[in-house]
Order: sequence, then structure tokens, then C-alpha cells
Amino acid sequence: MEDEPTFDPDLIHAIFKNVWTRRAQERARNEAEDVIEGEAAAGPSKKNRSTSANANGLKLSCELLRLFVTEAIQRAATIADAEGSTKIEATHLERILPQLLLDF
Amino acid sequence: MNGSKGEEEEESVRELLRDRFRLSSISIARSEALRGGMEVSDPVLACIGDLSFKYAEKLAVDLELFARHAGRKSVNMEDVILSTHRNEQLSVSLRSISNTIKVKEPQSEKKRKKPPRKEDKSVPSTIHIDDL
Repeated sequence: MEDEPTFDPDLIHAIFKNVWTRRAQERARNEAEDVIEGEAAAGPSKKNRSTSANANGLKLSCELLRLFVTEAIQRAATIADAEGSTKIEATHLERILPQLLLDF
Repeated sequence: MNGSKGEEEEESVRELLRDRFRLSSISIARSEALRGGMEVSDPVLACIGDLSFKYAEKLAVDLELFARHAGRKSVNMEDVILSTHRNEQLSVSLRSISNTIKVKEPQSEKKRKKPPRKEDKSVPSTIHIDDL
């Protein structure tokens, strides 16, 4: 039971960082446009510094993402089971997808 | 501006991360199905991998907004729990997971196995791809 696969916090951190850097770049670009249009802004603002995450926050994010995957499988498995199948097919996933996406 | 080159690099990093994420999520899905004595067809695995990656990216945006709204630069467990506020059961189970993480924390702190990872903030990115 102990070697159950889960997400690597470092991988999740890298993904989050990637998103945050992209957003920070976008913000910087928008700000640069503002400066050209209007008066000079009061120096480079702190707002553009990219966000980080602490270790526990990352661990909990990993758990949340793992829950998403396991919920998808469990719900689809219930449908497959009800249809007397032992293999989860795309149609089973389709059935549970709307509610799954609303729940997360 | 060297923005476009940086963005291209960001994009290729993103694809690499996406593939690694998909692999993890597929192995989680497989093992979860196996526990229920089920098999999973390949399109379903691919779909779940994709969906969960999109969810992860949305989660990243939410968490950043929540942390900033609280005046923090760092995302913590409260932000993650807040992101599930629409689903009470999910919040409750995340809350209990967060408590077990908190309980485990002091022990791992004593061990001090890998403290430098969070301290090298001077390095902007945690990913290094040497063979590109």
C-alpha cells in the first residue's frame, strides 16, 4: 500500500512556477504598455514578482490533484460495474464527466 | 525585448512538464482502477491525464490569486483548501489531509533531510534541462 503512486511535489511546483512566470510576464507587458500610454509609473512595482509556494501547500495540492484522478476512476468504475463491464471505456467517463468537473 | 525567446522556452518547458504530469496521473489512475479490480482503456487514461493537467494549471492561477489577495507571496495550505470551497466534502477531506501533513511536519523538520530545496530562491526555476 505504501508504494501507491502520487504526484511529485517538485513536479507540481515546477508546473505552478511555469504558470506563475507566464502570468508575471503578461502583467509586466501590460504594465509596460500602460507606461507608454500614460504617465511614467512609480518604478517597477512589487506586484510583478512571481508567486511561490510553501512545501505543505504543495503537498496538499498534490493530494487534491490525486483526489481528482482517483475520483474520476472510481466514478467511472461504478458506471462500468453497473453495465457489467470490467474495463473502463470512454463512454463510462463521459457519463461521469459533467458532475466531476462541477465537483472540482 | 528578449520576451519572445523566453516565452518559447517557457512553452517547451510547459510541454515537458505536461508530459511528466500526464505520466504520473496515468499511473495513479491505473493503480486506482487496479484496486477496484478494473481495467482502464487507453483513451480514458489519456483523457484523465489531460483533464488533470488542465485542472492543475487552473489551480495554479487560483492559488496565486488567493495568496495575493491575502497579501502573501507564497501559497500555503489554506489557499489550497479555499480553492475547494464550492465542494464541502472535498474541503473537509482536504482539511483532514492538511492536519496529517501538519502533524508529520515537526518530525521531518528534525530530520532535516532536504532543507536546501526551498531556500535556493535565487534560482528562478526548478527545472534544468541539460540535454536540450
